[in-house]
Amino acid sequence: MLDTFEILTTSGVVLWSRSRLPITPPYKSDQHTLKWTFVKELGLIFVAVYRSLLHLSWVDKLVDNIKTIFVDLYGDQIKKPNTTIVHCQEFDGYFDQQMRELESSAATKGTTQTPTFALENEESISGNLGDEPPLPPGLKHRNNAKTVHDGAHDLSSTVERQPPSCWKRRAHGQDVATCAQDAEESFRCPHVVGRRDYRPKKKAPKKGRKWDADGFADEDDDVQLDYSAAPNSVTSDSEAEGRSAARSTAVDSVDSSTWGTKTSKGQFVLRDLDDEVHDILASAQNKSSTTSSGIVGSGLSTINSLFRNVVGGKTLTKEDLAKPMDGMKEHLIKKNVAPEAAVRLRDSVEKELLGVKTGSFESIDTRIKKAMEVSLTKMLTPTSSLDLLRDIEIVTRPSGFSSQKPRPYVMSIVGVNGVGKSTNLSKICYFLLQNKMKVLVVAGDTFRSGAVEQLKVHVRNLKELTEREGGQVEIFEKGYGGDAATVARDAVRAATSEGYDVVLIDTAGRRHNDQRLMSNLEKFAKLANPDKILMVGEALVGNDSVAQARNFNASFGQGRTLDGFIISKCDTVGDMVGTLVSIVHATNVPVLFVGVGQHYSDIRNFSVRWAVEKLLNSSN
Amino acid sequence: MPTAMEQLIEYIEYILTPSSPVFIVGALIVFLVPIIVHIFVSRATPYTNLPSIVLVGPPGAGKTSLQTLLERGDVAPSTHSSQVPQSIELTASVDQHLSFREAVKDDAPGEHKKFLLVDTPGHGKLRNFAMDSLVAKDGLRGIVFMLDAATLDENLAATANYLYEVLLALQKRVSSSKTSKAVTVINVLIAANKSDLFTALPATLVKSNLEAELGRIRKSRSKGLLASGVGIDDVDNEENDDWLGEYGSEKFTFGQMQEFNLEVDIIGGSVSEAKVDKWWHWVSERL
Repeated sequence: MLDTFEILTTSGVVLWSRSRLPITPPYKSDQHTLKWTFVKELGLIFVAVYRSLLHLSWVDKLVDNIKTIFVDLYGDQIKKPNTTIVHCQEFDGYFDQQMRELESSAATKGTTQTPTFALENEESISGNLGDEPPLPPGLKHRNNAKTVHDGAHDLSSTVERQPPSCWKRRAHGQDVATCAQDAEESFRCPHVVGRRDYRPKKKAPKKGRKWDADGFADEDDDVQLDYSAAPNSVTSDSEAEGRSAARSTAVDSVDSSTWGTKTSKGQFVLRDLDDEVHDILASAQNKSSTTSSGIVGSGLSTINSLFRNVVGGKTLTKEDLAKPMDGMKEHLIKKNVAPEAAVRLRDSVEKELLGVKTGSFESIDTRIKKAMEVSLTKMLTPTSSLDLLRDIEIVTRPSGFSSQKPRPYVMSIVGVNGVGKSTNLSKICYFLLQNKMKVLVVAGDTFRSGAVEQLKVHVRNLKELTEREGGQVEIFEKGYGGDAATVARDAVRAATSEGYDVVLIDTAGRRHNDQRLMSNLEKFAKLANPDKILMVGEALVGNDSVAQARNFNASFGQGRTLDGFIISKCDTVGDMVGTLVSIVHATNVPVLFVGVGQHYSDIRNFSVRWAVEKLLNSSN
Repeated sequence: MPTAMEQLIEYIEYILTPSSPVFIVGALIVFLVPIIVHIFVSRATPYTNLPSIVLVGPPGAGKTSLQTLLERGDVAPSTHSSQVPQSIELTASVDQHLSFREAVKDDAPGEHKKFLLVDTPGHGKLRNFAMDSLVAKDGLRGIVFMLDAATLDENLAATANYLYEVLLALQKRVSSSKTSKAVTVINVLIAANKSDLFTALPATLVKSNLEAELGRIRKSRSKGLLASGVGIDDVDNEENDDWLGEYGSEKFTFGQMQEFNLEVDIIGGSVSEAKVDKWWHWVSERL
């Protein structure tokens, strides 16, 4: 059973909901399954929630059907501007009907097929379109368009119904035409049971028919069997006409039957609803299957689309978007965005733009650029504040209300060899010293020769530079060969007892695909327990940035990820700052700083607008 | 080929010869095409210039709930995280103190004024909608900054940060407009929602907490790093651009914002208990 079904708008208002159990979100991903679909033009989201233990195969169909019905019934209300009110109280009935129908069809699917269908069809007499058997794939549109006379056939010939063989035949043009006539007959006297069975007769001459991929036959031999169309019209035309004839008779008869049932009360109301629902579903499917009509229509639409290309107000289709979107992808790749990220961005923007109308005097390219700008901004914008000084203040000088004791703020820096870990560490250190903080720099690189001496030089320089500013910096080192994690832990302990504000831990550079070196990081994260783990990534690196960011992000054990990136060497790449996008795409971790030069002061807060401008700038 | 050629020439000759059908068709084209283009374009751009009140605030504060409550007038439906902004049209009476329930009715007494109430998503990644609407809106009359007074203790830093951004954007908007016409006062209401809950702070406490936190934020911001893309040269002339309130002042108070034509009020209330009349009055007075 479904736990919850909700219909909500993208602006967050729940329009209609039904829940069986009073469970509240958040749903746990391992216990509940969510199926959802989305109507972009209207900003509607349809969500079904059920327990993962139950494998409800029909929920997909339910969500789709409900979407179609709801949009058909209330689309006009939703399109109204400046309101969120949608009167949809009566939707309960439609939902119940769909639930019942799909649940029962799921139940029958499990048992033996033919007898159940026969039974159901006998129970539900005329005009009941509810119990279609599972259709053979590829024939869906056709058959659904003719649900009504299918229903009529069910009355007379339930037993011989053996999908898929006779169903395939039904998809045929001539048959449709005759079916329509039959349907008409049957609706004139709907309770006839022993109707003539025409199908076996026809089977004989059709033996040699060839079926093409769409399930249509080659129509050379028996065009004359088509009664519904002019004798020399093209096959597809006649077929379409035949179909429409079938449909129109079908609709007429349904109307009359609902008229009849409305006089009585009770169960008939439900059947009435059934008809309405199926009409909606059928017409929606019909709409999706029909394409442009005729030469005149297509000509007009071409002119219209050309006109709209210039003036704007054009509804974007996949074909319109394909070429410019690929151009956009190429552009991003040229900006050093990893192809993986570029493709994802392209797909998401394409999805966003499908069916969207361009503004007046707006070309497709500008619309795409705008959408890409929004996507990039959304991607790069961090979810939380990245004010480092404020974070440090909260930890080192907690307010009187909170029970936390003051302790030093621990930051550690990781990265691949040679990306500039020590340099960026000293840049951050310089920034903190300018804010009059007491900083302890920890030489956690106990491996590479000269690493400790390098940091010592940095610290000496920083001391000289900041003497006037009032900051204080010391180095903590245990020489080479020790375990980096233990050194870090000892340093944090020492800093706590000596009242440092910030502990900056340098680590050894490691290749992201070297499992042996990467596994040390987990222990490091556990022992040093840094408040922030920052990874330094080069702006120069290309496609490898994705793998680097991913591997580092996953290496700190469960529940611990990177807290931010420092992108170094941004001054060397000009506009090609695509690495930013690649790593954020790979990890969802925000970029905190960018390194823009060789000096201690050449570190900057990351500005999303700056990055987006550079990425979309096409003059290079 | 020759027949086609001749036909073409015939057509051209016919078109170029002055005759009444050619005149009529020509005149029709000349007159109708601009009209059609105009209709086409004007239909695409909606015509609305109502005064607007923008709802901003951190996620989970109750922005969408308030909006729907005011629109429906009875009970707010349940809501989820907003993904897109949503504006609704409301009518407020200017001269009478009506409760919001009465104002929703069509036959409410007094003089009426229509306005747009714009709800914006509060999620960190979607705040650009809100920030854009603060900068771009012509008819902007007021901002309602909603916050959750019940969990303000834990979320003080995040909430204050967003409020800082909002106030700074408004301050920049005022200080950057150098036009001769009088700058309209923009009113900011800090709506301390969820007063029905036990842990909710009263409005005065919310105010003092926010002021203290905003003071700390602007202090740490002023010491922070430059944003990427800002050159060294641009720094000096925009010295006090990112400083909220009176430059160089020790403590931040909301009163300092008056210098920038920003009036800040703090009123408590509760959406779930429908105690929003004070906010509603605030809104109707500011239209």
